[in-house]
Amino acid sequence: MKNLLNIFKLIVALSLPFSLCAENLYSNLNPEELKRLNYLSDNIRCPKCSYGNISSSNAPISKDLKEEIAELINIGYSNEEIFDLMEKRYGDYVILKTDLDDNKTLFLVPLMILIISILLVTTYTIKKSK
Amino acid sequence: MATRSFLVLIMALLVFLISTFTASLMQTNEIDLIENQEGKKLYISEDLYDLNGNKVAVESLLEGKVLLNVWASWCITCLVEHPFLKKVTESKDVELVGINYKDQDFNAEKYLIDNGDPYSFSVHDLSGSFSLKLGVTGAPETFLVIDGVIVSHRIGEVNMEVWNEKFAQYF
Repeated sequence: MKNLLNIFKLIVALSLPFSLCAENLYSNLNPEELKRLNYLSDNIRCPKCSYGNISSSNAPISKDLKEEIAELINIGYSNEEIFDLMEKRYGDYVILKTDLDDNKTLFLVPLMILIISILLVTTYTIKKSK
Repeated sequence: MATRSFLVLIMALLVFLISTFTASLMQTNEIDLIENQEGKKLYISEDLYDLNGNKVAVESLLEGKVLLNVWASWCITCLVEHPFLKKVTESKDVELVGINYKDQDFNAEKYLIDNGDPYSFSVHDLSGSFSLKLGVTGAPETFLVIDGVIVSHRIGEVNMEVWNEKFAQYF
């Protein structure tokens, strides 16, 4: 029994360095910057697998991109600059966040059609009921 | 009268929908959604080393016509396109430079000994950081760089068909 305990202690002692290594991932970022890293990797598509963002993807390139973004944040790049860099490299297909300013017509046209059709239907029904 | 024009409108819409649907079914070629790197400048920000550990003269990549081929010993498709690359370098005046992507140097050297070496030299990119900044998404990929500008970029295998379509016009 005592032997078993010693073996267990040995295993714990040997695995300690690995657990310490695991903590070092993105250790150069503070919590605020980590939040930014999560936001950015949630909103950038994996260029290799293209069905998901890089935070949900296990492709090696997604890991590389996350590390690159962490480094860029560390150097002092803003979110916009990082999005621009990724867009320049892989095209706007990889940017998952929607830019409202660039797509005004896309958002406004359905809304206008809805309003116009509501107006038409209400005027038609009011006319009919008279 | 109103119902009739309404019916015509519905029918026209239906015909339009069905025709676009059949057109989309007929479409066979895949649309490239990820932008390739054509028209961009070859930007090298770090020191590059070849497989023997010698420093690579960056100017040699930025001058004249250079064909960059991303390869790795673990990459099956690279092995498939390897004979074609050898044929190209034998029959044409092509400077083919390899980018050894995320590969151990001893594995890479063994691969070149086993399968032949068509490359003038290969850049050893163990971490993949040079390739990442180049816009590489995986192996194999092939870039044609003329005077520092990427004029042609192929994501995937290069064979006769792809060569004729993307690269042959420059040689």
